Formats: sequence, structure tokens, C-alpha cells
Amino acid sequence: MTTPVLAVTSASKRFAGVRALEDVSIELHAGSVHALVGENGAGKSTLIKLITGVYQLDSGSVRLRGEEVAFDSPRSAQRAGIATIYQEVHLAPQLSVARNFFLGREPTRFGSLDLKRMNRNSAEALRRYGIVADVKRPLGELGLGIQQMVAIARAVETDASVVIMDEPTSSLEPREVDLLLDLVAQLKAKDVAIVYVSHKLDEVFRACDTITVLRDGKLVSTGPTSELTRRQLISRMLGRDAAELDESGRTRLGRRELEDGEPVLRAEHLNRRLILEDVSVVVRPGEVVGLAGLLGSGRSETAKAIFGALPLDSGDISVDGKPLTHQTPASRIRQGVAMLPEDRKAEGLIPDMSIRDNIGLAALPQLTRSGLVSRKRVDDIVKTFMTRLRIKAASPLQRVSELSGGNQQKVLLARLLCLNPRVLLLDEPTRGIDVGAKAEVQALVAELAEKGMAVVLISSELEEVVEGSDSVVVLRDGAQLGRLVGDDITEDKIMDLIADAASEQIEASEQIEAEK
Amino acid sequence: MKARRRITVAATAAAAAVALTACSTGSNSGSTSDDSSAAPVATALGSANAGGVPAAITAAGGTELLTTAKPDGVSAQYGPMCKGSDLGIAKIDFTKDTIGWAQSEKEANPFRIASTKSQIEAAKAKGWKLLTTNAQSNVQQENTDIKGMIDKGAKAIIFSPINSTGLGDAIAYAKSKKVAMIPVDRNITGVQGCKDVGPQLGSDFVEQGRRAADAMIKATGGKAKLAILLGATGVNVTDDRTAGFLDQLKAKNASGIEVVFQQTGDFTREKGKSVTETMLRAHPDVNAIYAENDEMGLGALAALDDAGKSGTKNVHIVSIDGTKGAVQAIVDGNFDAVIESNPAFGPASQAALEAYVNGDGAPAVTITTDNQYDSSNAAEALSSGKAY
Amino acid sequence: MTTLAANLRDRTAIAAWTREHGVYLALLVLVVFNAIATPNFLTVDTVQLLFSQVPPVIIVSLGMALVIGTGGVDLSVGSIMAIASAVLAKFVTGGSPIGVAMLAAVAAGLLVGVFNGLVVAIARVQPIVATLGVLVAGRGIALVITGGALVELFVPVFKDIRLGKFLGIPYVMIVAALLAVAVSFLVRRTAFGYRLLAVGGNRRASVLAGLPVRRTLVVVYAISGTLAAVAGVIATARLRASDPSYIGLLMELTAITAVVVGGTSLTGGRVRILGTVTGAILIQLLETTLVSHNAPDSVARMVEALIIIAAVYIQRPARSSR
Repeated sequence: MTTPVLAVTSASKRFAGVRALEDVSIELHAGSVHALVGENGAGKSTLIKLITGVYQLDSGSVRLRGEEVAFDSPRSAQRAGIATIYQEVHLAPQLSVARNFFLGREPTRFGSLDLKRMNRNSAEALRRYGIVADVKRPLGELGLGIQQMVAIARAVETDASVVIMDEPTSSLEPREVDLLLDLVAQLKAKDVAIVYVSHKLDEVFRACDTITVLRDGKLVSTGPTSELTRRQLISRMLGRDAAELDESGRTRLGRRELEDGEPVLRAEHLNRRLILEDVSVVVRPGEVVGLAGLLGSGRSETAKAIFGALPLDSGDISVDGKPLTHQTPASRIRQGVAMLPEDRKAEGLIPDMSIRDNIGLAALPQLTRSGLVSRKRVDDIVKTFMTRLRIKAASPLQRVSELSGGNQQKVLLARLLCLNPRVLLLDEPTRGIDVGAKAEVQALVAELAEKGMAVVLISSELEEVVEGSDSVVVLRDGAQLGRLVGDDITEDKIMDLIADAASEQIEASEQIEAEK
Repeated sequence: MKARRRITVAATAAAAAVALTACSTGSNSGSTSDDSSAAPVATALGSANAGGVPAAITAAGGTELLTTAKPDGVSAQYGPMCKGSDLGIAKIDFTKDTIGWAQSEKEANPFRIASTKSQIEAAKAKGWKLLTTNAQSNVQQENTDIKGMIDKGAKAIIFSPINSTGLGDAIAYAKSKKVAMIPVDRNITGVQGCKDVGPQLGSDFVEQGRRAADAMIKATGGKAKLAILLGATGVNVTDDRTAGFLDQLKAKNASGIEVVFQQTGDFTREKGKSVTETMLRAHPDVNAIYAENDEMGLGALAALDDAGKSGTKNVHIVSIDGTKGAVQAIVDGNFDAVIESNPAFGPASQAALEAYVNGDGAPAVTITTDNQYDSSNAAEALSSGKAY
Repeated sequence: MTTLAANLRDRTAIAAWTREHGVYLALLVLVVFNAIATPNFLTVDTVQLLFSQVPPVIIVSLGMALVIGTGGVDLSVGSIMAIASAVLAKFVTGGSPIGVAMLAAVAAGLLVGVFNGLVVAIARVQPIVATLGVLVAGRGIALVITGGALVELFVPVFKDIRLGKFLGIPYVMIVAALLAVAVSFLVRRTAFGYRLLAVGGNRRASVLAGLPVRRTLVVVYAISGTLAAVAGVIATARLRASDPSYIGLLMELTAITAVVVGGTSLTGGRVRILGTVTGAILIQLLETTLVSHNAPDSVARMVEALIIIAAVYIQRPARSSR
């Protein structure tokens, strides 16, 4: 066993008391591609930022070629030979490819830039990596894939011994992905240690030697790709051990019999180029429909489309038989649809406002008479929901940003509930909140459904979807893989669906490779 | 962006030195006027023009004071005599050829309005064809304007430079095309007489300040608590009109006039008013105001009016420019005197052009005459239309 | 370690206190300074003068506070004052009754404000860019309306606007105070006020909460334009003339300073009306103080610059814990 180029041991990091990473260790070896996978919030980017000096460790250590290091900035990490390639290319799009290639280490001649040499040397270097590009053109004029590869080639040319790629293919065309993976193979041959962060499983299996799975800031497993099946990988990402899963069936007790009433929500044949492909979600009164899939599968996008926040190319959406027309959240709210957004901070809370004002916001039209807000009615409704959802705060006038994650989430739920919606779309209702609050929220969802509301539930925790849903729509790459009902709703079956689709795709692409 | 205002007028160059102003007469005009006034003042005012040519005139290419007969509206002329043929400029047939007028700032104040009007009317009277442009206070625009008119066939350009420098581009272009160039109002400096541009016509702001001081001494009987409303900060006109005024008070030993307040009014009526309002609280004893332009003077008058203190029996006001509003204020008994800054370069500059290209030549530098109004001639100035 | 933490807490607390109350303290300091150092300062006359000079600044700042509350900025207020003044002059010289002329002037401001709002909300042009365009073009429009030159206006009502007092308080100050109360009511008590703060606090979240974000923005800019026009009318009455080249010149900077000094966050989501009014008075009094003490123009400008920098520094967003 060779000494790892870079070893992270027992790394832990908290933000404002919230665990972001706990006791995670990984080793990177020269000439090896190490995949880092996990859902949102698993700790992938925290780990990368700890390695590259963006964040400092709370505890644990980072060792580079056996020596302990602590980078105080990304710059010093770069100088030590650790290069990071982000989804967006962090170079200067107006400058030529050659200028970018030499950015920060330009050769000079008599004190001025030696453009000739820059053009010649960069062209040679890029050719070595199989990258065909006119080095005199501005970088921004090239395709994203080529830009990405110029960034990578540049990193390697600066003698990087560790290259970290954070979702490098997320905005690339399939053809560009192939080129990029070729480049990864070349780097590997040059004995570079590579970290490959991606949620695209086929790429991970094609390109990586080792796979490390993170979940909720903890290390789930790390091991050679060859010893892992797609099925196992999916189950580790989504939250259950494979062995444990085999035992588990449906865990929600007493799944209710639903009357065959007219569906409350009918969202059918939703299409949006490159994002959604013929997805249909139908929810009857009192039903909870789960949307399951990996990150990027289109689960959040489906909810947003139903809520009018993602414009559709085509699709029919109706509530209680009435077709919805205007694609705006405001009109959907008027028609009885409410959505809890995925990103609480960016899309939900108004941080400077009080709890009271955050709750009352969406229901303002009902709380207002001729333009004036009725304080009493707001106070009443706020009081009701703070009690009912057990929101813990010093007073309704406390700033919402001072609350814990769980209480913030309850504030947002209260905002939706005082609208008295017919359809409730919940995107990750329990993410980032503590166990107690999580149980309360889950119980609340069940209760709301029992009262006849139509609920769509999205969670990256498969367990939550399985336990909380009456039927489940499984998605992958924006397309619907299947719909499970009743006893068929098991984590097992969901993961089978996702894995089958994944392997089909990989077989297909392998076939294309072979035909070449 | 306070538009820089006016500049012009001529001096009764009889006295001391004429500080022909131009926005960037190198260092600063303050020192110029110090030099020019201090020495002669020490001896005697009348003797100053014994033959010396002020630095500002030299900068504009003038070398000697001409003693030949002066036409109407001209107070001093400096040689050498410029002839267009020396620069290869052909004679102009004014019945057929066109000439151009390039204004520097937008015609949004009486001075600029009158200045352009004077050119247009003078040309009309002579039956000349005149192109006009306005550079909106942008020196690059003025270069472009002038070159554009030359390209359209203008045989001569009369122009009001935004700045005494910065028009080298247009001047060189005109020279290469053998087009006559006549600067008016502010002058082009750092030139050799008649070699780079044709005859220049301008005025003397230091002298205006001196005459304002004389008028103030006369109005107050040499005893007053005085407030000065300064022009915009960093502008030559402001410095010259201040220096001329203060120097003259000293020269006339008017120690009874105590300057208790000096503050900028930005050459605007609004600022002139608000500054005067504030000044009246802190210095209720002020009984004379020198405003470096009419607009600030009228602003001061508005403030006095609101405070019930208007009228020269309460507060004396002397200002510079000669606009209708200020001259009317003399008639109404609110201003004591207004020193004119004459914008009407039209006739003089067009006569100079004619002499320069078709006649015997014109002096390198001409200082035009400024009028002065008080209760004796204000009503007449309004009815005759002399006040602009 | 604990002392450091305590220290940090203290410093954050001081920063927060300064942000909320600094403007009142600064005004107090300035008043005390004047009482000691300025002749004839502690008189009714002084207060009356201040209250006759400051209303246009207050009125423009009220509108600016709302715009800044949405996370935007309105650079066009000075030019809108000029347009309103020019329209007023056009109607008065055209023989319209003064009431009609004033209404037309205010309507012109409303119109320009709506235009700003549409460009910002519908075309999604950044507020600073959208209103910068109007800053430049607006004054040109005003000059075209009056034909360029200053127009003297002899309107009897103007004298009342300039000099009229009720219980010793100038009418214009009473108007400014009533507008401040109205705007404060708007922010605190109406649905529109809630929406305005929500949009400024988190635009994306406001869209997802179903708020009429665009309409809110259009109305906010319309209010700002209308208030600027009212200020333009008052400034015209004060001067007894319409001077489109200079009226309201640099008012946008004065108003932004008043708003920020008064505790409104430049990043949006927080509006302080009393602070804004106090900020406007502070700036006017500061200018008066500098003039009274014969401070050279260059010094006055530097002092104003320092105030702006200090205010923006105090209002900077608290550094996040990450």
C-alpha cells in the first residue's frame, strides 16, 4: 500500500452549532480517481472546502504526502498543488485561451507579456491532452466543456498533484462529458490524485476507482468501485443499508384505504425541455404522493412546475377539476396550491422580518381590509398556528432568522397552512432540522392528509418517502420511471427502479463505446 | 456637474493689466491677477498701461498694445496683426461660402443664449450663411463639432472654447484645411500670435471684479458689513472676480468695508438664496452683498425679500453679468449696480474675421467693452435691449 | 476566550445600537455644537429657517427610503424635481390655474416614477442603471420643456408656500411631516408595506409566497417619483422660479445619505421613517452649520463625503458567522 498523496483523518466541522461534517476520513492516492457521492447536505462540499482551505477544521487533520497541513486560503492550497475545478469555470472569459492557460504565471519578455510563447506553449499543452481549441480566441467563446477542460489542463500544468472536480459535468452535453472523462483518464495516467464529485452514477462507475458515500455529514462507506453494485450505492446514498433493506418492507402502519374520489390535483404530461419529460402526478383527497429519485432527478422541478414557479413547455394541471392557467405562484396560491420550497433560507424566509410577519405574508389578501392589515386577525392566526405547530420562540415579534432550523421550517409551514390550501407541495420538509422537530413535522403531514388535503412529499431520505406516502412516483433524469402503490412501496423497489434505469443507460453507453 | 458659466467681457484696459482669462491659464489666475494688480496699484493705476503686456495676453499670442483707433465695442487691442494669407487661408466669398459657430455649453443661461443669438443675428444682418453646433460642455464633442463643420465646407469657424487647451485636435485640422479659426470669450493659450489660430476676442474678469468693488464703495459710501457670494469652486472666473474685487478694496483703502462672510453660491439662484438665508441668521448685520453673477444676486434678493429686507436702503447688492433680471432689480431699487459681462461677440468677431481673411488683418487679441449699469442707465438698458 | 466572546458581543451590540440610534445622537451633537459655536443659533428664527429649507429633502428622502427598502435605489429623483418644476412653469406661463399646474407637475413625477418601476420590475433592469438613465435624460427633458432658461414665476400662492406658517411652523414642514406620517403608516399598517419589506428582504421568497412583486415595485417607484415631484413644486415656490438646470441637482445623493444615515439598510428589507426624517434634518443642519461658519466649499464637500462613508460603514451588513 502506497502512502496516500492526501489523507483526511477524522475531519469534523460545525456551523453555528449545526453539524456539517463529523469524523470523516478519506485517502487519495496517486493515479486514482476517488468519487465523492451523496445527496444535498451530505457534506461533500464542506469536505472539499476543508481540504482547499476555504474552511478551517474544527478537529481532525489533513496530511499532504504524510505532512500535516492547514491551508488558510484556497490560494495556499493551490500553491501546494491542490487544484479545484468548479461547475462554473473560474477563469476570465474575455481573455484568450492562452492568456487563461497562463493566468497568474505569465511568461514575460523584456518586462512585457510574451504572447508568442504563451500561444505556442498553451497550444502544445492542450494538444497533449487531446483538446482542440484555437488558443487565441477568448475563452468565453468556446463551449463549456472545452472551457472546463482548459481549466483542468491549466491546473495540471501548474504541477497539481491533487485535482478536485466538483460536479464538472453538470452543465455539459453528453459528447463533452465523454471528452472530459477521457481527460480524467489521462490525468490518472500522469499519477495525479483525483477527487470526482458527482451525482451522476453512470459517470462515477465509468471513471472512478474508489467511491466514498457521505450522508448527513457522516461517512457511510468507502471502498473500491468494483466491490459495489449500483443498487448498493443508491441505497447507501438514500439512507438504508442494503442488508437492512432486504428485511424492511412497508413501514407505515395502517395505510389508509382511500376512497376513489375525484383527484384533487391532476398534473399530467408535464414537459420542460431538458428538465422534465412527461411527468404525471395525480393526488386524491387525503392522499400523500411521494416523489422519489436522486438529486437532479426532477423531483423538485416537478413540484415547482405544479406551483407555477417553473414555466412548462406543455402539461395539464387542474385542481378539483378546474384547469390552472397562469403559470405564477400567486395565481396557484389563489387556486389552492401551496408549496414549501426546498431551500428554506433562499426561497422561503424573509430573514429580517418577525415570525409574525413571515407567517402572515402569503395570507395577506385574506387578512387585509381595503389595504389595511388587520392586526388582530394576524395576531389571532399567528397565535393559533404557533400553538398548533408548537413554534418555540420568545415572542411572535422575534426575528425569524434567530430561530432554530426546525422552528423556521414550522414558520414556513404555518405560512402555507393559514392559506388553507387544497394541495400542499412539500419539498424536503424535514431537511436540516433536529429529530424531535422532524417527527412533529411528519406527524403534521399525516394529519393534514387525513383531513382531506392532497399532499405531494419530496425527500432525499427514502425512508421518509416510503413511510409517509400512499403512492410514490419514481423519477430519474426528469423522466418518470414508474409509480408504486400500496404494498409495492418499499425502499427496495424504488431503488431497483432507479438502479435498473441507471444500468440500462450505462449498458447503452458501453455499447456505443464498443461500436466505436 | 455645475455647468461652468460665463466668461467674457472686456476690460476698459486703460487700467493696469488685463488678465485675459482662460480656463487653464496654467497655474492659476489668482496669481496672475496678483502680479498684474499688485505692482501697478502700488504706483498708480493710471500708469500701468505704459507699454507692458499682461501675461494672459502674451499667453494668447498678443505681444504689444496697439494704439491705433479702436472700433466701437472694443476697449483694447494687442498686436501683432494677423492675416489669413500668412497661413495660406484663401479669401472668403461670404455671399456664397458658409462659416461655422461652435458654442461650448448648452444654451440654458442668459449668457450662452445671448452669445449664440449675437452670432446668429450678426450673420443674418450681413447675409452670411452660418452653421451652428453646441458641445454641451464636452471638449471632445467640441473637437468633433468643429471638424464636422469644416468637413461640411465651412471656410471659417468662430468658436467659444470650453477650455483654453484641449482643442488642439480641431485647431490642427483647421490649419491643415486652411480654415480660419476665431476664438471668442475664453481664449486659446500657449499659442504664438497669429500662427496657430486667428484673432482672438475676449474679456477681463479681474477688471470686472475691480469695477464691482468701485461700485460697491460708491453705493455704501465706503462703509459696510459685506458678504460675498462666490462663484463655483475651482473656476477661473470665480478666482478672478474675487481677486479683482478684494484688490480694489485694498487699493482704494476702503477699510470701512468689512468682509464678514464668503461662501460659494455655485453661480445658481437656488444656492444663492439658501446661502443668503443662512447667512442672514448668523450675520444679521450684513448690509451689502457682492454676488459674482446675477443669478446668485437674484437668489440673495429672493432671500432678502422673504426676510423683509429687500431694497438698497436695507442691503446693497452689486453683481456681475448684466442680465435683464438683474438690471430690472436696479430699476426696482433692489440692486445698486451690475457690471456687464458682454456676451455679444457676434459683430466684433465677424468684423475681425472679415478683416483677417479679406482685409488688412486683425489684432491678435481684442478685449471687448463691458457696460456698467446703475440707476442712471438701467431703465434705458432694458428698453433698448442692451441688457440680455 | 470568554472575554473575547463578550467583547465581540459588545461590539456587535454597539454596532446595532449605532445603526438604529446613531442619527439621533449625531443630530444632538450638531445642535449642541451650534448652540455653543454659532451666533444667534438658539432662536425661533433658526428653527423656522431650517424647517423651511429642509422639507424638499425630507419629502424626496421618504420616497427614497421606500425604494431602498425594496433593495433598489432611485437616482432619478433630482431630475424628476426638475421635470416637475418645468411642467409647473409651462402650465403657469400658459395661463393655467395654479392648482391645475401643480397637479400636472405632480402627475408628471408619478408618470416618470411608473416608468422607472416598469423598467425595474418588468424589464428587470437593475435599479441603479434604470434610474441613472432617467437621471441623465430627465434633466434634458426638463430643459426642453422650459426652453432651457430659468423662468421666473409670479404666483401669489408661492408666497404662502414660502412664508406661510401655522402656529409658527412653516406650512411646507407641516406638509413634510404629514407625508412622513402617511408613509410610515403605509409601511407599518398596510399590506403594501408588508410586501415592500418582503420584496426587499428576499425577492425570490416573496415570489414563492405569491406576493405581487412586480406590482409592488412599480408602486414603490411611482411613490418615489410623485414625492420627488412634490419636492420639485416646493423648491420652485421657494425660488419663485423654475430653474431646470439646477433644481434638485445632486438631490439623489443627499436623499440616499439621509435614508442610510437614518438606519435604513441599503440591502433592503428594513425601512426607518423617523430615522430618515432625522437624517434629512441632520444633513440640512450640517450644511447650514458649514455655511454659517464660512467653511470653504472644499471642506464642506469633504465633511459631506465623510458622513456618507461613516453612514454606509455603519449600515454595512453584519458579517455572517461563516
